[in-house]
Amino acid sequence: MVSPYAMPDPSSPLAAERNPDRDLQPFFVLRKPEPGKVVTTEATHGKARRKIDLSQLSPNSRKPSAALPFEEDADANYEQLRMQSFNATWSKIECTIQGCLKQMNLSLFEEVRGWIYESFDKIKSTGLHSVSNTLCPYPLLTDGIYRQIFTALILTKNMEFIDDLLTFQDLGEHLRSSGCHIANLSYSDFTVKHGIAGCFKSLLRQLVMVSLEAYDITALASWYCQKENNGKPVVLIIDSIEQCYGPVLAGFISIIGEWVIKIPIILVFGVATTIDALRKQLPSEALQCLNCCKFTLPSPSERMNAIVGAIFAKPSLGFSVGHEVAVFLRNYFSRHDGTITSFIRALKIACTKHYSLEPLSFLSRIMYDEETEGTWSIMCESLPVSKLEYAFDLPSCRRDSLNRKSGSEIAQGLFDFRRLWKGWTCVLLCLFEIGRISKMQLLDIFCEAIGQTTSDVHSSNGSSLSSVTSQKLCHASSQSAKGRLIGQAIQKVREISPASLSSLLESWAKHTKDIDEIHSKVRQLQSLLRSVDNDGASIFADVEDDGALKVNEKAAMLMKQIVEDMLKPIESIPFHEIFFFKHVGVLRSALTGDPRKMIQLDLLKSPSYLRCICCRTGDKALRPSMHDTSILYHLAQEHGDFVNLHDWYNSFKTILTSRRDSRRKVKGSSTPQKASAGPPTSDLTEASIQARFCRAVTELQIAGLLRMPSKRRPDHVQRVLLGL
Amino acid sequence: MAEAEGAIGTGVESELDEEDFAFSRSYFLAKETGGASKRKSAPKVSDINPVDEQVLRTTLSGLPVKHGKEIKTLLNSYKDLYPEWLFELRCCLGVLTYGFGSKKTLLEDFATSSLTNLGAVVINGYLPSVNLKQVVLALAELWWAQSHGRRRSSAREPSGAQSMEDLISSLDEKPTKDVESFVCLVVHNIDGPALRDTESQRYLGRIAACSAVRMIASVDHVNAPLLWDKKMVHREFRWCWHHVPTFEPYRAEGVFFPLVLASGHAAQTARTALTVLQSLTPNAQSVFKALAEYQLAHPKEEGMPGNALYGMCRERFLVSSLVTLKSHLAEFKDHDLVKVRRNSEGQECYHVPLADDALEKLLQELN
Repeated sequence: MVSPYAMPDPSSPLAAERNPDRDLQPFFVLRKPEPGKVVTTEATHGKARRKIDLSQLSPNSRKPSAALPFEEDADANYEQLRMQSFNATWSKIECTIQGCLKQMNLSLFEEVRGWIYESFDKIKSTGLHSVSNTLCPYPLLTDGIYRQIFTALILTKNMEFIDDLLTFQDLGEHLRSSGCHIANLSYSDFTVKHGIAGCFKSLLRQLVMVSLEAYDITALASWYCQKENNGKPVVLIIDSIEQCYGPVLAGFISIIGEWVIKIPIILVFGVATTIDALRKQLPSEALQCLNCCKFTLPSPSERMNAIVGAIFAKPSLGFSVGHEVAVFLRNYFSRHDGTITSFIRALKIACTKHYSLEPLSFLSRIMYDEETEGTWSIMCESLPVSKLEYAFDLPSCRRDSLNRKSGSEIAQGLFDFRRLWKGWTCVLLCLFEIGRISKMQLLDIFCEAIGQTTSDVHSSNGSSLSSVTSQKLCHASSQSAKGRLIGQAIQKVREISPASLSSLLESWAKHTKDIDEIHSKVRQLQSLLRSVDNDGASIFADVEDDGALKVNEKAAMLMKQIVEDMLKPIESIPFHEIFFFKHVGVLRSALTGDPRKMIQLDLLKSPSYLRCICCRTGDKALRPSMHDTSILYHLAQEHGDFVNLHDWYNSFKTILTSRRDSRRKVKGSSTPQKASAGPPTSDLTEASIQARFCRAVTELQIAGLLRMPSKRRPDHVQRVLLGL
Repeated sequence: MAEAEGAIGTGVESELDEEDFAFSRSYFLAKETGGASKRKSAPKVSDINPVDEQVLRTTLSGLPVKHGKEIKTLLNSYKDLYPEWLFELRCCLGVLTYGFGSKKTLLEDFATSSLTNLGAVVINGYLPSVNLKQVVLALAELWWAQSHGRRRSSAREPSGAQSMEDLISSLDEKPTKDVESFVCLVVHNIDGPALRDTESQRYLGRIAACSAVRMIASVDHVNAPLLWDKKMVHREFRWCWHHVPTFEPYRAEGVFFPLVLASGHAAQTARTALTVLQSLTPNAQSVFKALAEYQLAHPKEEGMPGNALYGMCRERFLVSSLVTLKSHLAEFKDHDLVKVRRNSEGQECYHVPLADDALEKLLQELN
């Protein structure tokens, strides 16, 4: 079996050398898989195995291949383990998110399904949908009312339709499973370019499974006449009507309207703005054909709350994010993009970066794997010295002066973390429940909870922890209860009505069922509330009861207590880096990039990238040895919006021909720097300077930093970007 | 992880840079605006005495690369990123590289050295046109060949007769659990002239979203992110950005760009004019010559008045009637060889829209 991937050797020359013939081919096949060396993912990488193969890490089982040295082989194994862990974790996160969104939409989907079948019954009740009628020559004489198309308008409450693409696909699946014929059409099917044929082509492709160049609705009619297709509603889902080209959509509706008496077509429109969107988009003739019914999807912030509640408070994921990353994600959602899709992508990049860059991240599976503690201990003990050293050099362990740096210490630390994290997420879930009642953003609560630092901690707690953890947390107890949002949440418990308190306690009881101590207290509060309720109902039916208030106070105190006891500052827990992604800079640069700024900085700071001694000097003077394009871009800074080519060229020539630096020897070097930097000054001919100038201008043009001379200003180039 | 700290570090630094940058810009803008009134005419490119375009191109092709050794070291240092890129590709993300310098060698080296035994197709987006259907067909064929050995697939071998939709669908038919096997699409300059239009980007997005395809691409233009809408960014390309300035010369990428000093415009236009004139009748050519000679002899005039041109052409037996002259002039105007404007007396004047040197050169060539 051949691995499809190879570890690069940094010292080797670049494998791909320049091939001028290929440069001018629009595309070419760089590599073909060799027929004899078929990649067998299952065998090589254990496919998507549910369980980690711990034996891979056992020193006895290592069989270094002939091609790879032992160390490299082990590294490849660890990388493979990290990949497996990523796949397992991300598929859990993805399933959780999808499940959560589906759950949110389910009631709406059911509502739509019910309405579709009601409408279908109404259509059927006309009695015109027999096979013979469908096949009889058009038009059928009938009442105008039957030419109306039943249309569901689904208000997405979200200007960004991207979040709802999946919703409409899910809706399609849901309706298909309940016996409807479904075609999902997109706004790109209703464009000026493709005209009316575009949408019919897509429709027929999905329903009839044929690809016709011209639109032919009779093909749909004859398809519907087939026995297996007849008798079911035909639902056409168009995800974003605002983005459709109005006249094409109107034409489509008008044709459908003529055929609705033959084929029971029901439309589902996604509306991102308001109900008026239809009126703006369609002429009155088309509007008259529609018989609309309105449905509303949950808003993005409601969805966000559901996702945050499902992901960040789940103890068994093995992955979470640090405070800075959480704040970045929150701001990215609320200020930058506002779409759930972008949030999920950011989370995926964070997860990928974590498993790619954190060497021990494969150990995060300890959070959900069914392996026994003994197996994990063996695995940790079999870690190579480099990994052990790395583990004990993690910032959370560095403060700890442990003499015995062994694998068993790591295993113990991981078990402790697992236990603490379970309690931590349990408290977070309880806080989220209050947040839901008081309409708080759960991501804000999470940011505050995860953002506690050891400096916030002031008193000790008495929980039983293992050696490592208890040493770390000997004085650890959070004052987060006094924090802004968490404090507000606890205060809210004092203010809520007995009915809300009852449901809150019910949810707390559910979340704390694995932590006996807290669970029993919650149960006590529940029984206390029940008894107060019974008394209140019989004696003071209309008066607010002091007893209920007492229960509120007790519930708040309980919350405060568990927050203080269990919501520890994450940064104080050893080995938390294995589970938490904290590098906000890495995430930011991977997520958005910033070519406008970075390409300019590349040019302005070329010596720092090239690390050549000849160009790196304290002053900001330009050296002839610097990269030509960099010199030219520096010189362009001395001009305004337009750069005179003559002046620019002369400045460039002056820099190149200045002999000041080319003669000077660099400290510690016996050779003049000009030798390594480029052609010597004496070799500079007018033609070569002009050629270098042209090349640099072309490169600036490729980077989009310049516009070439126009007819109006033939002697000037225009700078496109002014400022970073 | 040092990268993270580095990134934060450069943030502070760049804030300072930004201030410097803004200051210098305001200074030079003010200088430029102030100086505009003083300087009557800006110096011209022709004052540089540009060498012949052919010489320029020959010199250009033989120019040595500055800091070749350092560039090579820089490129080699990026090899440390290959495992990270590969990891991201395997996680179904796209890798997008940016930064100054050609990334052609870097990306092809990555594909050659890291994706052993997986199919890879390279698109040169810097070329003027790329047929994306052919690319999809090549990808589909590779994928079919790669997966054929281990899957008993009923799918037929892809062919050029299939529609783009069918070919894209064939790349998306992969079982979702099989995430480790794919074909790689390397796109040089995904923001290049061949791929800059919306339709190409949409197709590329759809290809990138296919479960059997992973894409690694480079962008060079500072405004490249404007090419994509949110659907493309978040659902299709799923880019993971990597800043990798290489400072390698844009050899292949710059081939189709005109050289700014290629005595430019004038030579280009004169050559075009010559081609047009050579296709006309000798009489028409002579009419043009008469006009051009007049223009060179009277550089300060707006052009040659129509009646003067007619008179001259009759004298030289070039035209027998005004109608014939007008038909010649119409031909010239259609090819932008002659323009009409009015002089101070309101007369219609004809002139050739070429600089004097270009016009002289043109007459020489024509003779």
